[in-house]
Amino acid sequence: MSQNVLRADGVTKVFEEGRQRVEVLRGITMEVGAGEVVALEGPSGSGKTTLLSIVGLILSPTAGEVEVAGTRLRRGDSATQREVRRRSIGFVFQQYNLFPALTALENVEYSLNVRGVRGRRAHDEAARVLERVGLDDRQHFLPRDLSGGQKQRVAIARALAGSPRVLLADEPTANLDTTTGGQILDLFQELARSEGKGLLVVTHDPKVRRIADRVVGIRDGKLAEAA
Amino acid sequence: MVSLARRNLLHDRLRFVITVAGVAFAVTLVLVQVGLFLGLLDKATVTIRHAGADLWITSRHTPNVDFARTFPETAVLRARGVAGVARADNLIVSFMNVQLPSGAVEGAVVYALADFTAWNLPWDVPEGSAADLKRGYRLLMDRSAVLRYGPFAVGDEREILGRRFRIVGTTREAASFTTTPIVFMDYENAQELLEQLRGNTSYVLVKLAPGADAAAVQAELRRRLPYNDVLTSEQWAAQSRDYWVKSTGLGMNMGVTVFLGVLVGVVIVAQTLYTSAVEHIKEFGTVKAIGGSNLDIYRILGEQALIAAVLGFALGAVFSYGARPLMAGIQLNVLLPPGFIAVVFVGTLLMCLGAALFSFRRVAGIDPALVFRG
Repeated sequence: MSQNVLRADGVTKVFEEGRQRVEVLRGITMEVGAGEVVALEGPSGSGKTTLLSIVGLILSPTAGEVEVAGTRLRRGDSATQREVRRRSIGFVFQQYNLFPALTALENVEYSLNVRGVRGRRAHDEAARVLERVGLDDRQHFLPRDLSGGQKQRVAIARALAGSPRVLLADEPTANLDTTTGGQILDLFQELARSEGKGLLVVTHDPKVRRIADRVVGIRDGKLAEAA
Repeated sequence: MVSLARRNLLHDRLRFVITVAGVAFAVTLVLVQVGLFLGLLDKATVTIRHAGADLWITSRHTPNVDFARTFPETAVLRARGVAGVARADNLIVSFMNVQLPSGAVEGAVVYALADFTAWNLPWDVPEGSAADLKRGYRLLMDRSAVLRYGPFAVGDEREILGRRFRIVGTTREAASFTTTPIVFMDYENAQELLEQLRGNTSYVLVKLAPGADAAAVQAELRRRLPYNDVLTSEQWAAQSRDYWVKSTGLGMNMGVTVFLGVLVGVVIVAQTLYTSAVEHIKEFGTVKAIGGSNLDIYRILGEQALIAAVLGFALGAVFSYGARPLMAGIQLNVLLPPGFIAVVFVGTLLMCLGAALFSFRRVAGIDPALVFRG
């Protein structure tokens, strides 16, 4: 069995608004190994995105623990959470979330700058990962001049920059046509296999199952066997 | 390093232009208004600074150099008798009416000395010479008078309080705080024109002997002339300036103008930066999601504020310098000394950074989880 790069242990999340108390996640335990692709499926409101936010160290759990790339995170230690997020996690968003004023190359380079990589090193690394996702000829294009698939590739390149061990993807094919979505999934699978990254994909898209090593279902805040 | 701040500014060009224009407007407002104010204050003391006197003896409680009051001219004799005084002379400063060829009457501030060559009055004489003033009813007229009196030339005659004077030369930059032109004439001629000036003077100018103790001479003059004020040039200039600043509400007016300029700048910069921050909120969320901190976002907003400040200041300074010749055409001097420019520059930076604080507050609470929302 491959070494775990991501682990959630008894994660519970409760949101309180006034007198309302909503338990979104109830004692979730799961892991993702290096080189493994895990698909997380579930209906809207089941808690998929909340779980992704917690394992991505964007949100703190109400109870339970998260371990990323060998670092066990304590609740409330936001500085360590940010540092681990910077070093070890790459995000791919449904809406791409590229910086519209920056070219493809600059989008990737800027994320490296935020991660502490500067100058020529950042530039070369950004060019390398863009080439890796097949966009070496689109480096100087602004996001508005790229197709949906190309934007998602830039987003993947940005997530890959800095060589994080974990990739978290939120509905990465939701805004793409079937062919482009298939190409993106192939790219994910190839990245996981060749670079040993642990990949957790939150999705509604049944085609993700094609590349997933495991499919995990979530219903009403609890893990359930996927169909 | 990629500057998201700069790229976002250039991406939102219209907003950027509005921000820079807003800063430039505020800077121009402050520079021109305060520059005019400084120019006026400069006029209020121009003769004090140029005369070359170390001490001025004035009538008690004279508010400023233009509003002279008379006292017996024999005071000059007591001044001359004080050890450490190298020279002391009477100076008359008095408002008088000038009859124009059109029949109209305009005001002039008359400066009269018995010996102009001993003092640096007038200080800029492009035509004629102050030495010629001794040769009868003659005067030197400042060129700024052309705005009030109409065209005139050397050799022309003008009537002052019923006496015809020949213009034997012109001067430059000799105008009072109220832009009333200064006319230079002989001391005795001035006394002849006004009954109240006979046997009286407006001021005694005192020049100290080399090495004399100014404070000791000043104290001795005060002792000998108990019904006069004895002031150093600096004290007298400060008192003249203070009069116009405090007594006329000019200082308050300037304060309000500067406040309004800063307010306009802050509102425009704060509003545009805040709107920009709100519009880019998801981008800032992304910055946080990929590991950035609030500090990274503050840096973006701060850099944008500083860019707007520098460009807005530069544009405002260009406008203000451009306005100077136009203002000079109507005898208004916009003074922009380097120290003042530096203060406005630093003030502009602080104003823009202060305006950015509103946006800081907005982005400080960004939930990076918003990046997962559609």
